[in-house]
Amino acid sequence: MDVFYTNFGTIDWIIVLVYICIPVVIGILVRKYIKQMSDFIVAGRSLRLFIAIATMTGTELGLVTVMYNAEMGFLHGFSAFHIAIIEFSCILAIGLTGFIVYKLRQLRVMTIPEFYEKRFGRKTRIVGGTILALGGILNMGLFLQAGARFMMGVTGYGNEAAELFMSVMLIMVLVYTVLGGMVSVVINDFIQFIVLSIGMLIGSYFIIDTIGWGNLFDIPLTIDADSWFNPLAEGSELGPIYVIFMVVLSLSAGALWQSGTLRALSAKSPKVAKQLYAWSSISYMARRVIPMFWGIAAFVFVSQMPQFLAAFQGTDAISSQFGMPIFIGMVIPSGFLGLLCAGMFAAFMSTHDSYLLSWSSVITQDIVAPLKKGILSDKMRLLITRICIVSIGLFLLIWGLWFEAPVSLWNYMAVTGTIYLAGAFTVIVAGLYWKKASTTGAMIALFAGLLAILGIGPWTQGDNVSWYLTDKFIALMTFIIAFLGMVVGSYLFPDKQQPEEAGK
Amino acid sequence: MNWEFLWKLVLIFTFSTYSILVVIVFFGGLKNIVDMLKDLKMPDNNS
Repeated sequence: MDVFYTNFGTIDWIIVLVYICIPVVIGILVRKYIKQMSDFIVAGRSLRLFIAIATMTGTELGLVTVMYNAEMGFLHGFSAFHIAIIEFSCILAIGLTGFIVYKLRQLRVMTIPEFYEKRFGRKTRIVGGTILALGGILNMGLFLQAGARFMMGVTGYGNEAAELFMSVMLIMVLVYTVLGGMVSVVINDFIQFIVLSIGMLIGSYFIIDTIGWGNLFDIPLTIDADSWFNPLAEGSELGPIYVIFMVVLSLSAGALWQSGTLRALSAKSPKVAKQLYAWSSISYMARRVIPMFWGIAAFVFVSQMPQFLAAFQGTDAISSQFGMPIFIGMVIPSGFLGLLCAGMFAAFMSTHDSYLLSWSSVITQDIVAPLKKGILSDKMRLLITRICIVSIGLFLLIWGLWFEAPVSLWNYMAVTGTIYLAGAFTVIVAGLYWKKASTTGAMIALFAGLLAILGIGPWTQGDNVSWYLTDKFIALMTFIIAFLGMVVGSYLFPDKQQPEEAGK
Repeated sequence: MNWEFLWKLVLIFTFSTYSILVVIVFFGGLKNIVDMLKDLKMPDNNS
């Protein structure tokens, strides 16, 4: 059997193509509801609990999420599940305590850098907004590439066809995001949440049916038994530093990843924002566990067939990202495979629309508007936001199709995320909960976040990398340096007067 | 610590709770969308 053999047929293409027309129609239909900037960015702060859960999951469960989690399962087995447990615990803790999100929603800010200005002044907002947009857009850079690889694996088509398909998909996302803003995004996210969730659950049934529940837990012969289950095992590529980094990353990203936090800021009330996080802890866990499970099943499947295992080994090995899509293309029957792919396209689209909206609104609200002396009208802000959406989309198309990450997909995501999160988490926590936090401390913390970019340098690659040069250690140290920078900067250079009462 | 047993529990917990969540969100979300569009139609929706 060929490695790229697939059950994906004509009926599956029809299902996918029909499905992807739905969001565009909705984008056009809801355009009449967009009257001002807050309608566009935070849906008029009108999101109620269940639609907020759907749209938050729709955003945070993207095709790239499925891909990098499946790759983690494929490479590290059940030990990767520790990330799901950590993320679930962090999101639930945020939901139960309201840590960060409750106060941010109370302050009625539309973006995170808007808080920087309320608490630390305009310059901090512009610097914070620029770093956020830089980290965020870079972080998003490989979404298209991962999507293309998924399509290639599932459909058995060549790279060229996948690129073309992703280009078309991106154009469709751009059209309805530009037209409808957050209102169309939340309605589409709702539909996509339902389709994707049903697809994932039924897909898991087929996978268990094919592999067998008992066989899933049989350790493949080529794998170290301890490392397959235990993330702290001696010899594991994960280890204690990685686990600590995941805790810090999950807590900061859970509370402050702009696209997710935007949902909390769009919530009807601070109480709904809290509830949203508590309920969403389940979907955050599912977005990790289910794709990781697919990746594990893919490896178990591959390891039973020597010719397939050989394709993933050696100098000409296929990327481990292909493991899961190739596997599901073989074991899930035609017809249902189309529904699953439609769900995955949904995930692809819902993530792109929300991220495009997040980063473009940051550029408009936190960089362009504060730099402009006069007051920007809502009409002008909408226009700039829409131009930014299209510009970022074009950048992503070029970056995603031509750039190859020097490290693995998840490492790239974690490190580029840290560029923003290390500074933002420190600044927001200090700004909300520490009266002595100063503007100088905030600026030091924000700039310290840029150190994370060292985590994707060439020195992090290879078999014998010193522990202090690993990406996980560099990223963890970035958080620590940002924190120390805030504390030391605030004590040495205290503010004479706080800009506003925010956060007290 | 029995890691295999823990991860089995995690899998079962995830599949069962997520299935329930999808059903709840489906029915609750439909009602929420109708209410949201009503809110946005009203003149003073951002107070």
